[in-house]
Amino acid sequence: MSSPAPSAPRPAAAATAALQSALAAEHAAVYGYGIVGANLAGSRQAAAMTDWVAHQVARDTLEAMIRSRGSEPVPAAVAYRLPVAVRTPGQAVSLAVLLEDRVATAYLGLVALSDVSVRQFGALQVRAAALRAAAWRGSTVPFPGLPASALAAPRPRPS
Amino acid sequence: MAAHPTRRVVLAAAAALPLAGASGCGGVNVLAAPPRAAPDVALLRSAIADEQLLIARYVNVLHGAGNPGGSTSAARRGGAAAALAAALEPMLAEHRAHLAQLRSRLVVPAGASPWPSGRAPAGPAAPTAPGAAAAFLRAAEQAAAAALLDRLPRAPASLAQLFASISASEATHVPVLDTVILDTERAAR
Repeated sequence: MSSPAPSAPRPAAAATAALQSALAAEHAAVYGYGIVGANLAGSRQAAAMTDWVAHQVARDTLEAMIRSRGSEPVPAAVAYRLPVAVRTPGQAVSLAVLLEDRVATAYLGLVALSDVSVRQFGALQVRAAALRAAAWRGSTVPFPGLPASALAAPRPRPS
Repeated sequence: MAAHPTRRVVLAAAAALPLAGASGCGGVNVLAAPPRAAPDVALLRSAIADEQLLIARYVNVLHGAGNPGGSTSAARRGGAAAALAAALEPMLAEHRAHLAQLRSRLVVPAGASPWPSGRAPAGPAAPTAPGAAAAFLRAAEQAAAAALLDRLPRAPASLAQLFASISASEATHVPVLDTVILDTERAAR
């Protein structure tokens, strides 16, 4: 592994940390979709299975990216504390939306890196998560993955 | 690139997350408030111009949908036009939100006009048939989403995140428009 450019603030370490955060979000999504699928039936369960597989693929990709940087990927937690109890199909869909929103936010962390290829990978994953979230939500949002704290209050426009 | 991107893009505490590993570790990045420093003004202006053009396309389609014109099959077209308008309004509102955020990031030198050419562009004429209008917007959304991704390599970190988020939002409009196109085709049969 080459040493970081002297002018940048340790970009390699920043990249690994951001990749690990994205991986942690994917671990949570893989866990969460198991619960989502268990509470759905029919075509919605099939959709949950498809998304579950997509998150497994993304997790494997991130693990490979982290290993290629000479680091050990963070392991999945044994269990995750869910933000809401999931006992109904409606709650399962809400959890799927939340999982995708978290994943999108984590991938935006990759978009902030200086490595152009990692940026592009992150942006494509933000898009994939936004598409899945919109399908579960049944509607779209203006800023997938961006928390309100990252958005400026609108300022007055000149007429 | 900024000398200290970490000042703009901050990792949040895991405690702030509703979904964290039960072991207590792990978490995802949350982003910082918009930067104070001037980002790449030319990059931002081109993104603003694209967003204005996209809004103009929506406005033109909605204007055409509100005035279908012609007398043949006016009732059917009127119903399809109303359905089209109902589908488009939320997406137009999201584009206006995109534009407001992009403009809020524009930090221009004192004395310079922040608004390059005054008013928003008029945009090309839109097809009036609902299916064709939806296809017209679908192509515009795809082009705009791709153009934002093309700007990522040159953007400062925080702006790149905004571009990626807006691009993803525009990508989610495509399946909505696909549904509109399908519904229009079904209604025409």
